[in-house]
Formats: sequence, structure tokens, C-alpha cells
Amino acid sequence: MKYCRNIVCVLFLNAVAVVAADSPLVAHWDFDGDDPIDLVTHGGVITGEVGPMAPEFPDLPKGNKAIRLDGKGARLMLADTGKDSRFKFRKGDPITLEAWVNLDGHKSGAPMYIIGKGRTGDPKFDKDNQNWSLRVISSGSGPMQLSFLFATEPGSSTAPWHRWTSNAGFAGDDGWHHIALAFRFGDPKSIRGWIDGKPGDGRWDLGGEAGAKPMVDDDAVWIGSALNGSSGNSFQGWLDAVAVHRAVLDDKMMAARFKRVGGPRVVTPKPQPKLAPEVMPKIDDVPADRVLFTMAEGFPSETRWMNEGETHDKEFMRWVGDDFMLPRIPLRHDDWGIRQSWKVPMLVRMVADVKLPPGKQKIMLRARALGRLWIDGQLVARTKAITVQPPNGEEPVTPVREPTLPGLRRAGYHQQEVFGEVTIEEGKTSRVILELVVGGKNLRPETGELCVAIQTEDGESYSVLQAGEREGFPLTDEAVEPVLAGIEESIAELDDLNRRRAASSRKDFREKRHAAAKEWASANPAPPVPKIKGISHPIDAFVRAKIFRAVAASAGTDLKQAEHFHGKILPLLSENCFRCHGEKEKGGLKLDSRERLLEAVTPGDPKDSELIYRLHSDDEDERMPPTGEPIAKNEIALLEKWIEQGTAWPSPPVDAAEIAERPLISDAAFLRRVYLDTVGVPPTFAEADAFLADKSQNKRERLINRLLKDERGADNWVGYWQDMLAENPALLNQSQGSTGPFRFFIHDSLRDNKPLDQMVTELILLKGGKYEGGSAGFGMAAENDAPFAAKGHIVASAFLGIELQCARCHDSPYHSTTQRDLFSLAAMFERKPVGAPKTSQVPAGFFENRDRKALIKVTLKPGEKVEPKWRFGKMTGMADGGAVDRLMDDPKDSRERMATLITAPGNQRFAQVVVNRIWKRFMGVGMVEPIHDWEGKKASHPELLEWLAHQFVANDFNANYIIGLILTSDAYQRQAIEGNLAASPELRFFSGPERRRLTAEQVVDSLFAATGNQLDIGELTFVHDGKRPLSNRQTLGFPRRAWMLADLNNERDRPSLALPAARTITDVLEAFGWKGARQQPIMQRNLDPNVLQPGILANGTLVAGLSRASNQSDLAELAVNAASPDELVETMFLRVLARRPTAEEQKQFSAALETGFADRVIPAVEVRPIVNPEPLPQITWFNHQRHEATKVQNAVARRVQKGSPADPRLRPVWREKFEDMIWSLINHREFVWIP
Amino acid sequence: MDSVNLNRRQFISSATAAAGGVALPAFADPAEALIQGKAEHVISIWLGGGMGQIDTFDPKRKGDPKTRKPGSYYDSIDTAVPGVQLSEHFAKLAPLMEHVTAVRTVNHTVIDEHAAATNRMHTGRTISGTVTYPSIGSIISHERGAASENAPPYVLIGYPNVTRGPGFLGPKAGYLYTTNTSQGPAGLSRADGITPGRQSRREQFLSVLQKNARPTEESRLLNYDAAIEESLRLSGPEFNRAFEVGEEPADLRNQYGGEFGQRCLLSRRLVERGVRFIEVAHNLNFMNGAGWDVHHEGILDQHELIRELDTAVSALITDLKAKSLLDKTLIVITTEFGRPPEFDARGGRAHQGKAFSCVLAGGGLSHKGAFGETDELSKNPVSDPVGVPDFFATICAAVGVNYRKNLYDGDRPVPITDRGNPIVALFS
Repeated sequence: MKYCRNIVCVLFLNAVAVVAADSPLVAHWDFDGDDPIDLVTHGGVITGEVGPMAPEFPDLPKGNKAIRLDGKGARLMLADTGKDSRFKFRKGDPITLEAWVNLDGHKSGAPMYIIGKGRTGDPKFDKDNQNWSLRVISSGSGPMQLSFLFATEPGSSTAPWHRWTSNAGFAGDDGWHHIALAFRFGDPKSIRGWIDGKPGDGRWDLGGEAGAKPMVDDDAVWIGSALNGSSGNSFQGWLDAVAVHRAVLDDKMMAARFKRVGGPRVVTPKPQPKLAPEVMPKIDDVPADRVLFTMAEGFPSETRWMNEGETHDKEFMRWVGDDFMLPRIPLRHDDWGIRQSWKVPMLVRMVADVKLPPGKQKIMLRARALGRLWIDGQLVARTKAITVQPPNGEEPVTPVREPTLPGLRRAGYHQQEVFGEVTIEEGKTSRVILELVVGGKNLRPETGELCVAIQTEDGESYSVLQAGEREGFPLTDEAVEPVLAGIEESIAELDDLNRRRAASSRKDFREKRHAAAKEWASANPAPPVPKIKGISHPIDAFVRAKIFRAVAASAGTDLKQAEHFHGKILPLLSENCFRCHGEKEKGGLKLDSRERLLEAVTPGDPKDSELIYRLHSDDEDERMPPTGEPIAKNEIALLEKWIEQGTAWPSPPVDAAEIAERPLISDAAFLRRVYLDTVGVPPTFAEADAFLADKSQNKRERLINRLLKDERGADNWVGYWQDMLAENPALLNQSQGSTGPFRFFIHDSLRDNKPLDQMVTELILLKGGKYEGGSAGFGMAAENDAPFAAKGHIVASAFLGIELQCARCHDSPYHSTTQRDLFSLAAMFERKPVGAPKTSQVPAGFFENRDRKALIKVTLKPGEKVEPKWRFGKMTGMADGGAVDRLMDDPKDSRERMATLITAPGNQRFAQVVVNRIWKRFMGVGMVEPIHDWEGKKASHPELLEWLAHQFVANDFNANYIIGLILTSDAYQRQAIEGNLAASPELRFFSGPERRRLTAEQVVDSLFAATGNQLDIGELTFVHDGKRPLSNRQTLGFPRRAWMLADLNNERDRPSLALPAARTITDVLEAFGWKGARQQPIMQRNLDPNVLQPGILANGTLVAGLSRASNQSDLAELAVNAASPDELVETMFLRVLARRPTAEEQKQFSAALETGFADRVIPAVEVRPIVNPEPLPQITWFNHQRHEATKVQNAVARRVQKGSPADPRLRPVWREKFEDMIWSLINHREFVWIP
Repeated sequence: MDSVNLNRRQFISSATAAAGGVALPAFADPAEALIQGKAEHVISIWLGGGMGQIDTFDPKRKGDPKTRKPGSYYDSIDTAVPGVQLSEHFAKLAPLMEHVTAVRTVNHTVIDEHAAATNRMHTGRTISGTVTYPSIGSIISHERGAASENAPPYVLIGYPNVTRGPGFLGPKAGYLYTTNTSQGPAGLSRADGITPGRQSRREQFLSVLQKNARPTEESRLLNYDAAIEESLRLSGPEFNRAFEVGEEPADLRNQYGGEFGQRCLLSRRLVERGVRFIEVAHNLNFMNGAGWDVHHEGILDQHELIRELDTAVSALITDLKAKSLLDKTLIVITTEFGRPPEFDARGGRAHQGKAFSCVLAGGGLSHKGAFGETDELSKNPVSDPVGVPDFFATICAAVGVNYRKNLYDGDRPVPITDRGNPIVALFS
């Protein structure tokens, strides 16, 4: 009997015979060896157990093996093979199900699944999707009865569920029984059950007699459990010879199945599982002088060590380190390198050969959950399993733990600390092994701060064990913190390595896609770059060419007439008519060119013009515009006069000087602009100083190239993607449109500079762990009854410039898109037909009592399901068809098809929308506006847009390539202007980039960078001891950059659930337009100035703390070590504003700092050292309802408000002046604007 | 979109039939003239956790948590309005009920999740996924602005969250918030330790930079500079003085009671300075741990919460009246949902959305003590059910906001409430 628990654990079980396709036997599992049909096991499945056999059952060979299931979700699973699967049973099909069963105890009232198809709880399928199932169930203490359950196809029966229960039963605790059940779907009378070979009747006791069509879909076949493995549906005991037949077997055959000899059955005590003997594991390949860490998934239980016969999966990951210390386990990635959940519980081991001092030694172990420590084969210490679930709020507040010995580092929150003794032989190297069970059903896969330490010789301290002959280091905060930082760094490296290694599995796919892209690009050449003397950069050439053209065209026009038309007439038309009669052509009418306008206007004769008639009309059904107030009389008069005078449509008047390109910006301005635009923070003092001093010709280009490789670039983009994709993780319950924290998918992808076609494909395919940061988290939408419609809307606006917001409830009034468009896309995404839910319906009352016909139309009938279909071929230029199949892994998958159609090289809309978004990021305004809604919109520079999109496709969809093109252009490096945004596409010239304010995240990150502080607000979570799964209580890790913050979820309005430190940051972020709660995609943040923006910088807690020369801070060091006020002033200008002060600024600030400068540092003997305040107890979700929790958290809030104390070395009078100067630099408008 | 309202209509017809022809509810007819009250300000008190109506504003026969007999936790007392009773712990509010209407038949369907119900009771809507709805505070602020140019329109005394925010109306309709009555709002009150001397040096340093900056005509930069000026003004002593609750006479402060009472007192001071809408969170969960979310043993000290509310609200009504502000200040008390008459296994109560009480006071309305009637254990409305949109429309009407108009999220018209109609009986 092989029992192979690999990474994916596949059971190969012994074949009775290979099942032929036409045989009535569909499947038969004997659990004796290599069965032909692979089953994936999950949970507590033990193989090789004793099965029914001779002599009691003479037909069954001695040594027959069975499997044992733990009744807690243990199961064997078989994926459906699709349309031709033989496990699908439809109306008219015969079925017989049989099995040998031996129950372990009596679960009354709960059905125990032997085998069934469907109802696995997989959210991909309808809930009511049981195709067939054989279960046993007892009511109360009665006998175990047979139970057959299936669901019917929607609409085919009034009741969705049908259940048949046998009248006869068998005792649940007296050994092996054979059970079977036969049925012909569609014929309720055909059902028959057998127990121990004897036939018996029963009754349809749920849903009545079932003649309707059974529900058939692609859900899996499970043995032993159902509904995600709920204990209430799981089989507990032994199983053997499970079979499915496509036939109704008869009494004779069934009678032959069961032969038993011997006297009456007696209840024999079941062999209870026994814990395997505790022996120190043998571990090979432990590198000398290093600590080996190994991890294996699928450990049977988090509450105990393994029983005899149990195994866990084979080792999944290993790495080496130096110390017996671990703050966290590495990330788990799927085979594409996307974050994935660990299969918990898992076994973590730390192993090393250590030179310990001889003699009797006291050893300390700190661990969160079940653990044991071995030294030289001896079990030295053990920690207990976590068995109690903490309550929701009423757990007593755990007092701050006193250090075990004075000066010792405190054990982490709810970390067990245990001791053991061991005697070490002189001269011997000891094998030390720590085993720890991590994660579990209700436990996050976290270790807490794990460590093994040995008491020092003097007995007054402990020292953390290290491998080999290393001495160890003291278990004190001062010694441990740098080590922990180092370990964190190395685990982060390991994470990167693992992720990139896994992601390389996509190389072939990527190369195939990019070869196709290059093929497409050469078959579809880009528009030629205009040849203009003296201009070498293509972007600059396109920009200049447009300016030339406009100047030339306006030369021939009557300036006065042109000004009147473009200043008065065209805005009137544009404002009132173009919504519908622009590029959209409502009612067959287009008004945005003179040629087409003449269809509704007779030049010289306003009275004969339909346009004027419609404007004047009193008839509600005729009057235009159709909504709102009629156009003012004097405005109509203007139009009439214009028509009367010949309806002239001159080219726009342009002033050549006004639209000429602006001068290039200074080095200092460029430096700050390009830093903020790439890495999201200003340069450091040294970087700024070096760049400004550099005299070389190509220094800007070199800097751009360096910054584009800087990993911080990813940080600078994450917020943009979060907005665009409505990332909205919830720290508490899933609510209000919350999603998973797929910010991590975004960040990882950006750090790896993933080609955007690949990144978007992976996003849409919803890969990895929903709660762990995989793109699967994008698929979530709490409290949304049509989540895939919501996601379809997001994807279309983000990547196709198609706005489907309205289509959720009705066809768009100003767009050509319909409800059907949105729901077809949703269906592709969801991989099944989708209909508009009830909440997406326009109320019936809306269409009643209206003066005129409503602009909106509801075209989907309530309950109508729409098939998966790509309906955007025309808009995107990318039609569905066999040609895209070659770009896909699985052409049958509608979700992948959708991703492919969006990202395929032929989808010019995708390429253009993406480059337009990138362009806007750096130039402040898109060539097409708004960037998410292109219908009826013109590009300001269509050829440039097309050219850039072509570059993008031809260069492997590499965003950085496009960014590099933009940043190196003069267009980007010119003085900022305003007016691009307000200008019509025709009059948008990009003579300079649009003036831009820092994003909210850039404001916060700049504050930290400029003042030399590290964002460090602890872990963003309400659970600090791992005692809830991520699905229920998230952690968003330790934020280091502003994008890592999130909505703080205090809708409960409880001081004890306030996160004061995080709040200081979100206050600033929110003032500058960031939203933590993104209930919908944010296409454009609100950029209007408001009083809170300067307010929060001037008065907020964050700036108050960061601008302080606090104890041992960067600012304090600068102040203490400054050679002169001049130097200090210059340094601070460079740090905060990335420029040197002007002469006047230098003079004034230096003068202010001069007073008291010489005397600013207090002599060392007079310095009163800062005493750190006592730590406060940890407040968590579990204890937040305690009185004390509120008190503590209020105290935390006070501490946060007070901030860290000032550096005692500086005289307060002078120090405050210095701080006020920093405050003024931060509060100057220059700080929040990109030069 | 409008399922609540449709439900209400359907509900009315069935309830009417069941009750043998109770008169139709006193809601404004959409075809008739707009109802507009004369209130100028709103003080909206939020009872986080879900106030149990049967233990407060809609008392019924007494139950027993020990034997799990459904009913009120406390005795009931008579009030100034004949026939209207309150829980015995409203001893101070009872004599003032002529200024108060407990709307006893508010109802909605979100009960599983506090955050979701909080959203419902602030925006009047379910989560949409395509639009972020504004809170009622933001709606009123957006429509009416601040009552003085020296004040912001909307102040929140509680924790910031999206459901209290402006949604698509944008930051101008947003709140300033404070979680502490001794302190001005975050961003507009000086940081600790910043003396007037330091502040003036800071501003002087800032003016050095401003004077040396390159002159600009760019409107964006000029607008931001204007915002700097405005923020310096609002964070100056004039507006921030509103937060010096200590200026009030000790007697009056005592009448208001503890921290929550001081929040109510602060609200009155903010009204005086021209703030249009103030939301006050009654969130002091150290009293009984759970606030109003009285599951299990959380209910044991519920009476303390009720008494605190009683003290603060009665003081607020009396004080506003004394200062002739009561008619122009609408006091609103809302909560996520109510609680059932039954007790849980540990003597507390679960959630109930199908009937619960929200309260209106002052604001120039014709108060009735109570409006709407529930069945004998306050489990279901038997007359005049009030949907959340209707309740919001009543608030809008009271402060002269057109409850029939549309707001616009870009192009998209969004009815200001989810097509609610005000309770006409309060405007006669």
C-alpha cells in the first residue's frame, strides 16, 4: 500500500480492472494499492488500515486493506473531467452506489457522506448542485440508515432537493457492513437500497418523489465528505470497495456481495489511534555550522503530534540560517509565483549541530503553538497546542509580560516560554532539532517570535543558540533586534527567489505571447515619426508637429470669427449636444463637424434648421437637450445668428507664442520631479548634492536609467493600481465591497517588472490565495450580489476605456454599451451564464409618470441569464475567434479567453489605454480624457498615441520601456503648465506637462524620507496571536510605505478598536485624496485643494512627530553634528525640497538659527537620558470589549499624539527654532507640488 | 435600488390587511407640494452597536432574562405625552417628550454585520459597487453649506470612516473629526506644545519661503495657497475656541454629564458657531464593554448607557431651548438596528432590523412623543412603518433640503434619499 503525500498528494490505488468506457462500472476503489483513478487526499486520511476479510468475510482476502477517515473533513477527491465525464448522471440514467463501511462512533443526526458528486462547496458552482450521493445517517440513537440525496436542475422541479431514506438500518458500531443503493433518474419508484445484501424499501422524505432532471455540472466527486469538508457531513470510520455503476444492479448480485460467517455481531472496541512514539527525527544533509529550516505541509492535526500510520506531505521548502530564531515563515507561492495559502497545519523544523558547553544546561524555548525541542535524541522541552478559540472581545487583557530575567527580551505576545534541562558531554557536538506545528483550521500560519536559548554560565541571562561553534548572542532587545532585521531581510530574499523561480514556469507562455506580439507589430507598422530638424526624440517630434500644424492652420483664419466660434459657439454645441451627437451619432445625427451638422442646419436660415426648432420646442418629447433645463434664450439667439451669418466653422485660433514648447526645467527641478515620478520620494541629501554637482552632459538620462531599475518604483505605482482595481481589504469582517489584499500581487508583479499583458492576464485569472495577496483576492466583492459584473466593470474601464457603470442596471444613456455587454463579460469572467441580480434593477416606479420617454432602457429581463460572450470586438479591434486559441493555455476556459482577448497584441484599445494611462501619470493629462471612458472621445495626439502603443506591443508590453521614452523626452522635462486638461483634444498641445500635486502616498512617503524616518506603526491587524484564519481577520503586515495602509474599519466606533498610530498616517492620506475603503474603482482622485490638506501638514500628529528632532533621530544627529547654520539650512532645503536655498532664504534662515547655535548642544554630563515608557498591554479583537482595553487604547492614543520625546542633547530653545524651520519647509506649497 | 421602498409599500398593504384596516401612514404624497421645515442645524447622535428599542424608546411588557421570557428588561414610565411611555431609565427625558418623537417603526434588512448596517443607517442605501453614496451629514452639508464662513459645514465627534463620508460628493462635503472633546478637529487644532509664540515663528518662516517663491499665476498653486491661508485661519483661536468646553459654566457642564454629555455640549457650541451638521458618537465602550451591542453579559450595564443618554440628551434639549436654539436645531438619534424582545442564552440580546426606534427632537417639528406602532413585543410594525429613506427624507425636509431632488455622480442622477417621503405628520 503506497500512500504518497507529495506537494499535490495523489493516491494511486489498486486496480480491480481498468475500467473500459462502455463498462457499466464507472469506478471502483479498493484502497489496496494502485487504483487506476487518481484521488487527491485531504486531511486526516489514513491508508493501510485493516479492511473486511476472511475468516469473518470469507470472500474477501486476508490482508485486505481499507482507509480510515477522521470525520473532520478528511476526503478523497476526483476532479470532473468535463463534458464527457462518466460521473455525470442525467435523467434516465441508471446508477448503483456501493461501499463497505465500518463506523467509528455514532454521529447522530449528521449525514455522513460515503460518496457524492457536487455539493463540495466550491464557489465556482451553484450551491444546489448535488448530482448524486450515498450517505448514511441516524436519527438520534436509532440505526444508521441509507440516504440518497440529489438536487434538481433549476426550474425542473418545485423543490431543489430530493432525499430518499431507507426504512431499515444497521448498528453503527459493530463492524463492517456492505451497503448499496440503486436508482434510475427520472423514475422515483425505481429506488432500492441494500444492507448486507438484503434489499429494503424507504421513502422520499425531502422534496417529494423526484422525477425531475438531476443537477449536472463540473463539480468534483468526493469520497468521505461534502460542503468544504464540514464535520457535519464527514464520514468517520473505515471505508473499502467504494464503487459507482452506470446500471441498476439486482438483488441477486447484491446478495452475493455480502457473505459473513460466525455468530451474532458483537460490539468490539475500536482500536483507538495511538500517538506514534516520540523519537528524534533523523535528518540528513544538515549543512555544517548552519541552521537548517524545513517546512512540510499537510500535517494531520494542529492539536497533537502524529498518530501511528499518519504521515504529512514531503518537505516543501528548506533554507539555511545561522540562528535558532525565526520571526515568520516564508511566503507560499503557487506554480506561477503568486502568493498562495499554506496547506495547514504544517511542520516547521529547525535543525543544526551545535557545540554546547559541557555539563548540565538549562534551555529555553519560545514558541506559539505545539512544539518540541530535541537535543541529542532527548526531548528537552515542549510547548502546548492551541486548543481554545478566544472569544470575540471578552478575553481578559493579558498584562505585559515581565522579562524572565532582568534585562532579558520579553517573550512575544501569547508566546509560550518553556524550559528544559540537558546534560552535554564534553567535546561533543549536539544535534538540536526544534519541531513546531504551524497554522491550522482556525490559526493563521504564523510562528510568532520563535527562539531557542541557553542559560548563560552565570545564570543571569540567556543566549540565543547558533549553529556550530558560534557563541550565540544575548537574548536582549539590543542584540536581538539587529539579528531579527537580518533574518527578515534574508527571508524576504528567499521569498523573492521562490517567487521568481516559480514565475519562470511562465516563460514559455510569455515568449509565445511576445513572439506573437512582435509578429503583429511588424505586420502592422506604427505611424511614421514626423521628421523635424533638430528634434531626435519621437515624442518631441509628434508634439512639435501638432503645434506646427495648428499654427499653420490658424494663419488662414479670420481671428475674430475664429475666436467667436471657438469661444462661444462651439462650447455651446459641445456642452449641450455632443454627449449624444458627437462621435456617438444618436438618432443618426452627428453635430461635431460642419459637414455633418449641415444635416440639421441650413446655413443662412435658422428657421429652416431642425436644430433650432428642437431647441425651441415646447414638446417634452421633442425638445433638445432631452434632460435638464432648456438652453437659455440668449444662447439660442447666438446660435441663430451664427447660422444666419453662414455657419462658419473656422480652425481654432492659436497664438504661436502661447502654444510654443516651454523651456526645459533646471536640474534641481528635474531631480525632484523625476524622483517623485519614479520612486515616489525625493532624493536623499547625498543623491541631490551629487546630481546637482555633476557636470556631465548625459546626467539626466543616466539618472532616469538608474531610477527605472530602482525597486521602489513598484511602491510608487501600487496605489494607482489599487484605485484602478478597487482593492479594498477588510481587517475585520468582509463587508462593504471588501476584496482580498491583492495589493501584494500588484506589488510583486511590479517589482518583477512583469510585462503588463502577463500581469493583467494573471489578474483576471484570479490566481493564488484570496486572503494571502494573490490575484484571487481581486475576485472578491463582499455584499455584492453580482461580483463578476462588478469586476467586469472594473476590468473594462481599467484596460479597455469602456465604462460599464450604468450597464449594471440599464443600458447606458450616453454610451452604446448595454446590460448585455456587461453581463456577457461577467459570464466570461465567472465561467457560467450570469443574470442581472434583483438589486441591479431599476425600480418599476421609475418609468411611471414621466414627462418624456426615459433616456435609459432596461433590456435584460429579470432573471434572464446571459451566456459568456465577447461583445467588444468592434470597440477594441479584437474579435473573438480561433486565432486567439494559440495564445491560450486552455482555449475552453472563458475566463482565460477574456483575459487573452483583452491583452492580445491585436487589441489596440488595450495597448492605447495603457500607454495613455502611463502618459497621464507623467504628463498630468491623458491624450484621451477621461482615461477610463473613451467612447466618443478623441485623442489629442492620435498618431503619437498609436506610435506609443505600437512601441509597447513591440517591446514585450514593458511599461518601463514606455516610461523611459516619456521621461527622456523634452516634453516631460519642460516647465509645467496648466491648461492641457481644460483644453479640447484639438487644442491640447503638451507644450509642457500639466502641473501636478504629489499623490497622497507621495506626500506621506516624502515626509518620512525627508525627515529621515522609517514608517513603522507595527502590524496592521487586530489579531496578534494568530488565533483566527486570515479569511476572518486579516493582517496587512508591517507597513513600510504609504500604499500599505488600508481602511481602518472602525465602523464599530470603539476606542479599543482604534489604531491611533495608523490613523496619524491615514489622516494625511485621506486629506490628500487617498481612500482606504475603495468600494468602487477610483478613476481619478479628487484633486481640489481643501483646507484639511495644509491643515493636516500644519497641525497633524504625523508632521508634529516627524519634524521633531526626536531622541536619536536623523534630524537630531544633523543638528548636533552641523558645522554651521548655513550648512544645516542647505541640508534641510535639499532634503525637503531637493534644491538649494536662494540667497535670501539662506540668509534669513541662517540668521535665525545662528542665535544659540554655538551653545545648542548640552554638555554630555548634563544630558538627562530619556526613559522609555513602560510597554502597554496588547489590545486585540479578542479583548477589545473589556473596560481595560478602552483605557489602554486611549493611553496608546495619548502616546501617539505626544510622539517620541525630543533629543535631550539639544537645548529646547534652539531646537524648537530648528524644528519650526523644518515645519515651514514642509508647509510651503512647494512641498506638495511637483516642480 | 428601491427595494426598500417597494417593500415598504407591499408591507403596508399586508400590514393594513392584517390589522383590519389601520389608516394609511402619514407620509407626504409625492404629488403634493414640497414640505420644508425651518431647522438650520442637525445634531445627530449615533448609538453604535444597535440600541434595543424594547429597552429604551419602545418599551413593552417586562420579560425575564433568567427564564428567557421575552420582553423589556426594565419597567416603563409615563412621559409628558399621554400614552407614550419610555424605559424607567429615561427619567429626565420623560418630562421633555413634548419636544421629542420616537419613531418606533424604522426598519431595514441588514442585521448580520455592524459595518454594513452602519453604512445603511448613514447613507440610507446598500453598498452598490458602482457608486459610493454620501452620508446624510454630507448630503445636508452639501446642500446647505456651513451656516457661517468661519465654520466648517460638518463636524464628526467620533472615529472617521467611509460611511460617514461624502462619497461621490467629494471632500468639500466631508467632515472634520475629533475623538476628544478637549481638542479641536484633527488637522485644524494645533499640535501639542505649539504655543502662540511658536506658531507665529512658524508662520514667519513660512512667509520667508512664500516671499521668495517664484510668482505664479497658476490657479492650482494659487488655490492651494488660499487653502493654506484658510487653514491657518480655521486653526486659529476663533474657531478652535468652540472646543474650549471648559468655558461653559460648571453647573451646565454637570447637567450634561460625562464625556458623552460633553460631546453634546460641544455640539451646541459648534451649532452656535455655524456648523451645519454634527455627528456625535456615543461610543464610550468602557461603560459596559460592548456599547449598545448588548449580547450576553453586555446587557448587565445597559441601564448605565441609557441613563447617560438620558442625561446628555435631556440637558441638550433644555440647554438649546434656553438659548432659543431648539427650534432651529434638529436632534436625531440613530443606531444600526434594534434588538429582539427575546434573550440569548447568557441574558443578552441579538439583532433586529425589522422594527426599531430612531428619535427626532427639536428642529421646529410638531412632536408627538412617538410615531408608528409596533406589535406587543416590538417585533414588527403594525402601523406607519418608516423606511430608512423616509426617515432621511424627514431629516432633509426639516432642514429645508429638497428631498425629491437628484444629486449627480458625474452624469448619473442619484435621488438624494432612496426616494423617501417625509413623515408629514411632524410638519403640521
